[in-house]
Amino acid sequence: MVAEIPPSSIEAAFVLEALQKGVRVDGRGLYDYRALRISCGPALGMVEVQLGQTRVLARVSCEVTRPAPERPTEGIVQFGCELGSLAAPGLDSGPRASAQEVSVSRMVERIIRQSRAIDTEALCIMAGEQVWTVRIDLHFLDHAGNLVDAAAVAAIAALRHFRRPDVTVDGETAIIHDPRDRNPVPLSIHHTPVCVSFAFLGANGQLVVLDPALLEEQTQTAAFTVTLNAHREICALNKAGGVSLDAEQISRCTQVAVTKAEELINAINKALVQ
Amino acid sequence: MSRPDRREHGQIRALNCVLGQLSRTDGSAQFSSGSTSLLCGVYGPIEARLFEEKIDRAHVDVRLRPDIGLPTTKDKWAESAVRKTFERNILSHLHPRTLIQINLQVKEGDGGVDAAAINATSLALVDAGIPLKTMVAAACCAVRADGEIVADPTEEEARDALSIHTFAFSSTSPDDNPVYVDSRGSFTMEQYDKCYDLCAMTVQRILAFMRTAIEGK
Repeated sequence: MVAEIPPSSIEAAFVLEALQKGVRVDGRGLYDYRALRISCGPALGMVEVQLGQTRVLARVSCEVTRPAPERPTEGIVQFGCELGSLAAPGLDSGPRASAQEVSVSRMVERIIRQSRAIDTEALCIMAGEQVWTVRIDLHFLDHAGNLVDAAAVAAIAALRHFRRPDVTVDGETAIIHDPRDRNPVPLSIHHTPVCVSFAFLGANGQLVVLDPALLEEQTQTAAFTVTLNAHREICALNKAGGVSLDAEQISRCTQVAVTKAEELINAINKALVQ
Repeated sequence: MSRPDRREHGQIRALNCVLGQLSRTDGSAQFSSGSTSLLCGVYGPIEARLFEEKIDRAHVDVRLRPDIGLPTTKDKWAESAVRKTFERNILSHLHPRTLIQINLQVKEGDGGVDAAAINATSLALVDAGIPLKTMVAAACCAVRADGEIVADPTEEEARDALSIHTFAFSSTSPDDNPVYVDSRGSFTMEQYDKCYDLCAMTVQRILAFMRTAIEGK
């Protein structure tokens, strides 16, 4: 398994030089997303997102389990996120998760779990006895830069696309209906959070681009992600490590992100209707 | 007794494949048989780790990830099915001390995953330009409780079947011995022979499909 080869110094210099003239390597505008394609189905809760060449597949499934003892009336949400050797050469080189895998999976987990996108109380079947455990598996198929945005769109779209079996509670017993007898029902999703990621390039992070492609991501000196929903509410901000950035840059990026998040959410809504 | 999706006993589900979708791999193929869909990405020949380097041939490594949940022994079995089928088929002596890494991702699993994995790998290896002795295709069939033999069983049919058989044949000659055989459950030799013939016939159709797909690339 070959180690990931970093970009050559000529490539890195070219990216910077072009950006200083306001030009991106793939000809996009500084704040343009790559072509976004969201395919839902055929299975329920299955969504594949293509953001440029980056591809992520999300699968949502559920099963009946006992609730956590300290939360007897809430369902459980589990995440499985593997950035394996399919997505890029040199990944998956050990039993422990790589730093990149951990950071992407923590990000997606955060936006779904901590922003309370899923109503976990609605997943309760019988308090203290039976609840739904909803599992979201994210598979990275192709790493061509900006996995987080693609993964976030895939995860929330898959959750909205998914249908769980219908349940009737009759006193002490809960009857879980076969999807063939009764139509499965959607999960209770409060809002649709999406991530908008920026990369900062140059020694002081003075050049900013939205939705970095692979080469831009490999030469970035800082990264910043805003998580927003359709109500223009900021769910999370993430700037971890990298060079220090101006507060003004951050607030400008957040403004751009509001418009971009709307675009992403409209694309998700359109894809789910079809 | 009719099948849940109203297919004929010998009828397989609709085949579909897309080659070269992925941008980072050397070759990739997505193969679907009805609602069973797998994506295979191949890197190779690339640098091998020291401990798996072989002095006279390439090392073949297979990784399969399921669509839902963590990998289980079922997925390990599918990995070994693919590895056993292709270890001798890849002309590994042409690339000594290198690694050919086959990555499989189950997108949707609805019966016949092992066979679909072999088919996806076959196409991905061709897309990657890895030298092969022959093209290989696999098919799966099940013997139902009523004794009927059905081709390309769904997950539901496989669960209720008395035995399941997966065969992989190479393209050089239909009279050759199969490259891979996996039969499990309880069955008579007569049933086995019928399954063998049914799968051999199905594999020929799959090979023809693969040829059209590759020529149309």
